[in-house]
Amino acid sequence: MYQSKWRSLTNHVILILGSLFMIMPVWIAFASSTHTREFLFQNGLQFLPGGHFFENYGKILFDQSATKGRVTALQMLFNSMVLGLGFAIGKVIISMMAAYAIVYFRFRLAMPLFWVIFATLLLPLEVRIVPSYEVVAKLGLLNSYTGLILPLIASATGTFFFRQFYRSVPDELLEAARLDGAGPWRFFIDILVPLSVTMIAAIFIIMFVVGWNQYLWPLLMTTDDQLYTIVIGIKQVYNSLYEGGQIPQFPKAFALTIMASIPPVLVVVIFQRMFVRGLVETEK
Amino acid sequence: MATLNLKQVEKTYANGYKAIHGINLEISDGEFAVLVGPSGCGKSTLLRMIAGLETISDGEISIGDRVVNTVAPADRDIAMVFQNYALYPHMSNYANMAYGLKNRGYNKDEIDRRVREAGTILQLTELLDRKPRQLSGGQRQRVAMGRAIVREPKAFLFDEPLSNLDAKLRVDMRLEIKNLQQRLGTTSVYVTHDQVEAMTLADRLIVMNGGVAEQIGSPIDIYNTPATRFVAGFIGSPSMNFLDGRVSNDRSHVVLTDGTRLALDHNVAENRDVVVGVRPEHLSITTPTESSIAAKVRITESLGAETLVYLTFGSKNEAITLRMQGTHTYAAGDELTLYSNPSQIHLFDQASGRRI
Ligand SMILES: Nc1ncnc2c1ncn2[C@@H]1O[C@H](COP(=O)(O)OP(=O)(O)OP(=O)(O)O)[C@@H](O)[C@H]1O
Ligand SMILES: [Mg+2]
Repeated sequence: MYQSKWRSLTNHVILILGSLFMIMPVWIAFASSTHTREFLFQNGLQFLPGGHFFENYGKILFDQSATKGRVTALQMLFNSMVLGLGFAIGKVIISMMAAYAIVYFRFRLAMPLFWVIFATLLLPLEVRIVPSYEVVAKLGLLNSYTGLILPLIASATGTFFFRQFYRSVPDELLEAARLDGAGPWRFFIDILVPLSVTMIAAIFIIMFVVGWNQYLWPLLMTTDDQLYTIVIGIKQVYNSLYEGGQIPQFPKAFALTIMASIPPVLVVVIFQRMFVRGLVETEK
Repeated sequence: MATLNLKQVEKTYANGYKAIHGINLEISDGEFAVLVGPSGCGKSTLLRMIAGLETISDGEISIGDRVVNTVAPADRDIAMVFQNYALYPHMSNYANMAYGLKNRGYNKDEIDRRVREAGTILQLTELLDRKPRQLSGGQRQRVAMGRAIVREPKAFLFDEPLSNLDAKLRVDMRLEIKNLQQRLGTTSVYVTHDQVEAMTLADRLIVMNGGVAEQIGSPIDIYNTPATRFVAGFIGSPSMNFLDGRVSNDRSHVVLTDGTRLALDHNVAENRDVVVGVRPEHLSITTPTESSIAAKVRITESLGAETLVYLTFGSKNEAITLRMQGTHTYAAGDELTLYSNPSQIHLFDQASGRRI
């Protein structure tokens, strides 16, 4: 009893210190983003928030001239959201269906096809970015959401995970469903999808964050400022920090950074609940 | 409700393995047929072929007067109960039972009526809103049966439905299944490798071995006149004793390996090599006579109501089991003389194993 108390105390101290260590830079960025740029320029990074929160954030969200490009942060957040959601939802749907075909239908070349898909795991986006660009350009999809999302939507990782999951679903469930008069489509919708909720949540979280954080791809695919994502926006703001002999725009850059990190955090928090509930529910 | 007809049914799996070697079977309307046999003999394969979950390589299966070889499982009008229940984990028990009806386009009221009725029959009424995982194994098995009976199918197929349950529950559920089947009068095929289940449930027993039906008959007929040595050894517990022997010149005796002469009243050719089969419960202890077997006690097992004595016999140390009523104790090495009424001695051909 005595010993375990001590142990839990030390555990907590370590955890708290660790969290502080992780949170501190974020906090400093936030606190600093609420000061004027002159104040920040003179006094350096700030630990305590200042009084310009609404002014700075309002400006960057709604005023085009605040960022370097002719686009508001709100628009960029929206673009990122479209990319992140399209990316995540698309990947979940496509990989679920691909895995369904591979696991439940006996067609010729199923295995080779699976391995081909699997092998693309080995090729990161950067490797195939030039041909991908070519394809998107020839299809006339540059500077469109479709062009941003569609070429990335096939997911070897997702397909692989769903495949593993489906294979762990007992065959008897399929057989029971067949006897119950459920065709392939019904079985997928009524049984497989609900059983995969945990998996869907997990893949969705991962893919959303990956999609949200895409940098190189949207940079190549978009030349129109109106399609910039928030990640590109941050890069632009930092690029322009020292341009034009003005006082650097540190608060704005920090504000943009903070805003860029909120949606992924929200997605993780919300879906993690589902994820945990799913884990508890599908047990047994 | 319907008859079930299997004509020369064969199954060869995609890998070339021949699991079923031509089975003929006719199950009449309302009959409870039990497929029993050792692991790997093809019981599940045969049942799944009736269900439509495995293709039929050769032969013909008909349900009622319709040949169903190419009919999809859902259209065969049969319901199946699986060993691991195969309930849909994310659906309530109610939804589990209703799913098949829903897919067949029954209206809500009819579904509700049937599910509630099945719930009452199976004492599940309070549990209908729960999920399967919130039930005990026995209750889950009931839901699985509920899912089968709401469909009011032509036939029930059971694949070892009780083997995940503990011994006590298994006995209870066995009685329940029997009751239910008699009440509904639905033709049923039941797979098990538990011969007590087989004996108690079956109107007709099909003993399978290596993909063939070794014997088909009522449980008592099979017990009393097993057609082959395999069937004799498989049905009955503890299993039948087998001793090698040879029929004497005058055909009145069979001579065992140590020279013991067992009296016979069979009509059998002289000097024929045979296997003598005697059930443990048909042996008794007597004073030594012309026609008694002298054997040495190896181990005694007391089960309270009865005692099993394991003995060895003759120079070849052939094993003999003796089953006695009540409690008895013998020390290892004790010598007992055993006797069996000639009418309870079975003879099998040594080479083919067929009954003589
Ligand atoms: N899909 C398959 N492909 C090839 N062989 C198979 C397949 N399924 C079963 N078998 C073989 O067919 C034989 C019969 O299998 P089956 O499942 O019918 O046995 P069983 O009598 O039900 O046994 P148990 O009592 O263990 O369930 C076994 O030898 C098995 O290995
Ligand atoms: Mg089996």
